[in-house]
Amino acid sequence: MAGGAPVIVDPERGAEERGAALERGVAWLAATDHKKTAAKVGVASLFFFLLSGLLALTMRAELAQPGLQFVSDHTYDELFTMHGSGMIYLFLTPAALGLGLYLVPLQVGAAEIAAPRLALFGFWLYLCGGIAMYSGFLTNNGAGSDTWTATIPLSNSSGTPGVGMDLWVIGVGLAVFGSLAIAVTILLTILRLRAPGMTMLRLPVFTWTMLATTFMVVASFPVLVVAMGLLLAERHLGGVFTGSTGSVVYQHLFWFYGHPVVYVMFFPFVGAVAESVATFSRKRFFGYRALIVSLLFFTALSMAVWGHHMFITGAVKNQYYSLTSTMLAVPAGIEYLDLIGTMVGGAIVFRAPMLFALGFITQFLIGGLTGIIVASPPLDYHVNGSYFVVAHFHYTLFAGSLFGLLAGFHYWWPKATGAMLRERLSKASFWVLVLGANLTFFPMFFLGYDGMPRRVADYEPKFGDLNLLSSIGAGVIALGILMVLVNMVISLRRRVPAGNDPWGAQTLEWWTSSPPPRDNFTSLPEITSYAPLLDRREREEEAAAGGGGRAAEVPA
Amino acid sequence: MASTRSDFGSVWSLYLWIGVGVAAVVLGAVAFTLVRYRARPGRTVSKVAERNVLEITVASLILAIVALLVFRTFHTEAKEDDSSRPDAVRIDVDAFQWGWKFTYPGQGVTVIGNSNREPNFAVPAGRPISFALTSSDVIHAMWIPGQRFKRDAIPGRVNYFDLEFDEDGREQGLCSEFCGLRHSNMHFGVWVLSNESYERWLAAHQ
Repeated sequence: MAGGAPVIVDPERGAEERGAALERGVAWLAATDHKKTAAKVGVASLFFFLLSGLLALTMRAELAQPGLQFVSDHTYDELFTMHGSGMIYLFLTPAALGLGLYLVPLQVGAAEIAAPRLALFGFWLYLCGGIAMYSGFLTNNGAGSDTWTATIPLSNSSGTPGVGMDLWVIGVGLAVFGSLAIAVTILLTILRLRAPGMTMLRLPVFTWTMLATTFMVVASFPVLVVAMGLLLAERHLGGVFTGSTGSVVYQHLFWFYGHPVVYVMFFPFVGAVAESVATFSRKRFFGYRALIVSLLFFTALSMAVWGHHMFITGAVKNQYYSLTSTMLAVPAGIEYLDLIGTMVGGAIVFRAPMLFALGFITQFLIGGLTGIIVASPPLDYHVNGSYFVVAHFHYTLFAGSLFGLLAGFHYWWPKATGAMLRERLSKASFWVLVLGANLTFFPMFFLGYDGMPRRVADYEPKFGDLNLLSSIGAGVIALGILMVLVNMVISLRRRVPAGNDPWGAQTLEWWTSSPPPRDNFTSLPEITSYAPLLDRREREEEAAAGGGGRAAEVPA
Repeated sequence: MASTRSDFGSVWSLYLWIGVGVAAVVLGAVAFTLVRYRARPGRTVSKVAERNVLEITVASLILAIVALLVFRTFHTEAKEDDSSRPDAVRIDVDAFQWGWKFTYPGQGVTVIGNSNREPNFAVPAGRPISFALTSSDVIHAMWIPGQRFKRDAIPGRVNYFDLEFDEDGREQGLCSEFCGLRHSNMHFGVWVLSNESYERWLAAHQ
């Protein structure tokens, strides 16, 4: 202590400060402002991401060498079940919807989300669901241990006994119901609360991806909530999924939700990438109407492909699902064309959000193209249930969606906090994550092709080298994530003010202050297209050039 | 009938090389764009925001590739789903937690084993084998990576499929659908024998 001077502590004042802090905390928790609800969703999903990521690191530690070193078979089953469930039900889905909850009212020029209390209720359902799922670890038989799909009959009371599995079923039901509630408020906001002049064909690209997302959510999530209710009844009363068809019926219910949810964890990040690419190419988004048509086509198709998860059951019409699944390449190709078309003719600036967007574009490509492979039944007959599939969906969800999420995170963090992230640290974390993702997941294609199945704690010694490489990659990913977290802390501790629009962006959220006021806007510019701020800059430039209609010059 | 392994091989190469080709085109386009259109002082930004003829052209091109792939897939799929060979060797497979039972109907031969002692059953090389696969408890899947083929074993349901093993030797098989505690160790072996050796094997196991 400097100078040895005694620090005088006034106990009453301390209590007062604590009381005030407590009051602020409670007020924050109870606030219905969509920005605060979205922040709560963001904090909770970050928490569940880190937790589920730790489970993955534990698995990769076990898998670094053949044989069992750290965990038992049963513990390993809990690890991969809770890792997959946590990432899908508690991280990527809520994070995608949380992003929409924050941004959609701002992008459409609304003062509030529609049904703010329903959104808050959705958050609490989701949080309670997550806590229920994870609290399974505190019970005698441990947490849920029947994969993220809980296939019947293994998930019934004799296959997977114990309270932990019940908590898993209840937790999934609650979390998915919560996500559904949040999605409904976003859908209503887009349909009912648009500012004057904000027609449907002037919605920003991100808002369009959210609209398509919420369509899929309202059509498919109720089915899983019902399936979880039936599964709970099956576990306690029996007689629900019985006979030779019971297990197949459950799979139909599950995958009717289980495939659309993959695009729920994808579309919003395509939107985030599209906004970043347009802004940092200094150009409006290319092929706006074609993208909308392709999104709607994608959405419709997404409801008709679920059977491709059941090719090897011998219980579905494989040709039909193969056809619909392969056709997804058409709208996906249009999205790629439009993203690249946006960059063509632009003046590309390589800021951190742009790097993450480019990481998404290039790495998701591998996930998407291997998706075409698994859409062919004769090929799926070999790679289904193998590490090839693990590699495929980690290229879509990690190397794809998470990079898209990080693009959006780096892009909108200054808007939400009013403080900039450290650009060099952001870029360094990007390269570390690219290295980690490819080191972790690329070897898995070879492992699966050569015969290594998913969901095993132990494997043949011949798979040892590639598994070690993959485990090293997981460590690199952990380092990259740590760098992102440090970046957040530095940004909040040593604030570099962001101003309203640090990027030279194009959509309405950048018109207002950072962070936006309680009612989002004190004024609105004229809404003339899906890029109103860009329109405004172009009009100003034209006026400055004497109305000569000269092409825009990029500030050097 | 060709083996599933060779069927798989031809479809796989088509998909893989088209995939590699598409990836090369897309990555090439991205790389070119990033270099060509990077921000430089005085760069003028294009105002073109729509090219619907281009969109339709690209969509049609992808649709044509999709049609080619799906056609090739359907052709092979129809062949693999056709499991009605009268001259085939019949083997009934029953999967259970955590092992396998292989029965040769009418031969009085049964091979059984579990995760502690994996079962090994024999098949004659070059002859079609008709499998009838089911499960006694939960869903399992019978995977023979060397044959590039697997099928689910579903309780209360029988799945039929034909395989043809070309070369003599041993193939490792395993369960590839998570089925509980000892799933990692639910293996089996297939001895692919010449016709004479196969008959001797059958006689020895009766």
